[in-house]
Amino acid sequence: MSSLSATLTRITRRRVWPRTLLQIFFFAFIALVSINHTLAESGGGIPFLSSASLHALCPFGGVVSIYQYATTGTFVQKIHDSSFILMILVTLLAVLFGPVFCGWVCPLGSAQEWVGKLGKKLFKRRYNHFVPLKLDRVLRYARYLMLAWVLYMTAVTGKLIFADIDPYHALFNLWSSEIAIGGVIVLAVTLVGALFVERPWCKYACPYGALLGLTNLFRVFKIRRKEEACKNCSLCSRSCPMNLPVNTAKVIRDPQCISCLECTTEGVCPAPGALEFSAGGK
Amino acid sequence: MRLTAKPLALLILAVIFGGVMVTSAFNWWTTESTKVPAKFSEGEAAGQYDPADIRGSYTFGDVEKNFGVPAAQLAAAFALPAGTDPASFKVNQLESIYEDLEVEIGTASVRLFTAFYTGLPYDLTAEEESYLPLQAVEILTALGTLTPERLAYLAAHTIDLDAAPPAETALPAAEATPAPQVSGTPQADHTPEAEDGTVRGKTTFQELLDWGVPQERIEAVLGGPMPAPGVVIKDYVTAQGQEYATVRDALQAEVDAVLKK
Repeated sequence: MSSLSATLTRITRRRVWPRTLLQIFFFAFIALVSINHTLAESGGGIPFLSSASLHALCPFGGVVSIYQYATTGTFVQKIHDSSFILMILVTLLAVLFGPVFCGWVCPLGSAQEWVGKLGKKLFKRRYNHFVPLKLDRVLRYARYLMLAWVLYMTAVTGKLIFADIDPYHALFNLWSSEIAIGGVIVLAVTLVGALFVERPWCKYACPYGALLGLTNLFRVFKIRRKEEACKNCSLCSRSCPMNLPVNTAKVIRDPQCISCLECTTEGVCPAPGALEFSAGGK
Repeated sequence: MRLTAKPLALLILAVIFGGVMVTSAFNWWTTESTKVPAKFSEGEAAGQYDPADIRGSYTFGDVEKNFGVPAAQLAAAFALPAGTDPASFKVNQLESIYEDLEVEIGTASVRLFTAFYTGLPYDLTAEEESYLPLQAVEILTALGTLTPERLAYLAAHTIDLDAAPPAETALPAAEATPAPQVSGTPQADHTPEAEDGTVRGKTTFQELLDWGVPQERIEAVLGGPMPAPGVVIKDYVTAQGQEYATVRDALQAEVDAVLKK
């Protein structure tokens, strides 16, 4: 028992706290800007804070606008230059570090993680293992279908189709008239699902995560496991929010990895140098 | 090279906020519409702005800047209330001014007026029918540049606002003057019985249900679940970011199908 307690203490001490700070920061920032947008629409607003719409600050808006921009030179309705710029910046980050946007920035991902903490308390080790493995494997392809559907429909209609079911947009518009019923339903399902499965939206439905995840195949910095240093304790796999088999891989190239670094020596790995986020080498 | 959480966090902040600052310095970072419509890519008008891409968020001033139609002329055409600044008046505000009309005077009407005023191409066969106030039609006909096809279209898509001046259309129903006359609309549409089955700006989902339209058909048109029956269709659709006129026409088709049975 005492060794288990010591291990737990060590894990807590090594948690990737800068990520948590960043998640809180971006969540609060987007919430404030969104509230300010609502206030500004009614003639008020907080000085020195952006009152941009949520669409203007969503990099995925840039992605869905690519087709229209290439064919007509205009953006999809409600999308602006800022969405395009954010898309480029997030792509740059993804090429360098993988989908850090998902693991460190996206407020919807953070919200799911925080709800998941309650799920962990409720279900202990069963948490994040409710979905049968075979079903889980099939469901993980659904987000690519979602990506294809959103891109196709936006290209055909020229409208921001995804906004009607976007849980991220719903999360930060609960107080505004811009809220979409479809988005609220998807958000509710996502947050309830997060009590049982970690980041269910990210795993099974997020179209932007599907796209960013592809950069794991060629990102500059990768999570690498040194077999000679590994103690085969499997803590890395058990701590992975995306249920990836980290303990059997040499380099994590799975498109589902969100570069959260929870599995690394900075996170749960008790073996110094066994799991690191690094560039260079194979 | 090994990277730990702290520098990674700083790099993420630096790339995102640094990127925003750099692009702001070059005036590339804009979070609002630049109010520049799409251009025609082919035909005689290739390279010119397309009136069909005028958005509801454009002001009359934006329309003047892009198409050369004077904002004051637009204000006269759409009978804006006295004291309104034409240059800062948003196109989508027309819908709330004329929300009680039988037909919609809104963004599509400004597109139509602009196309006819400038002589630019405009698709008159689209499902979404566009109407213009009599004042707008008089301005257009006075130009003397309309083709016979366009004149015929206007003859069937003109609404006489004199019976209900715009300032009064926003008043409560009890204070409102009689409904204006719409040209080109079959007389039967004006009978009280037929009006019961007409989707208008104030129609609620409950009224659709009362007329016998199944909820599944309504949801099929909306592309999602129907809100509470008491919700006004126009309010809901507008809040969803959908084109009201398109949804209205689709719902009207459902109502017509039910009433024909």
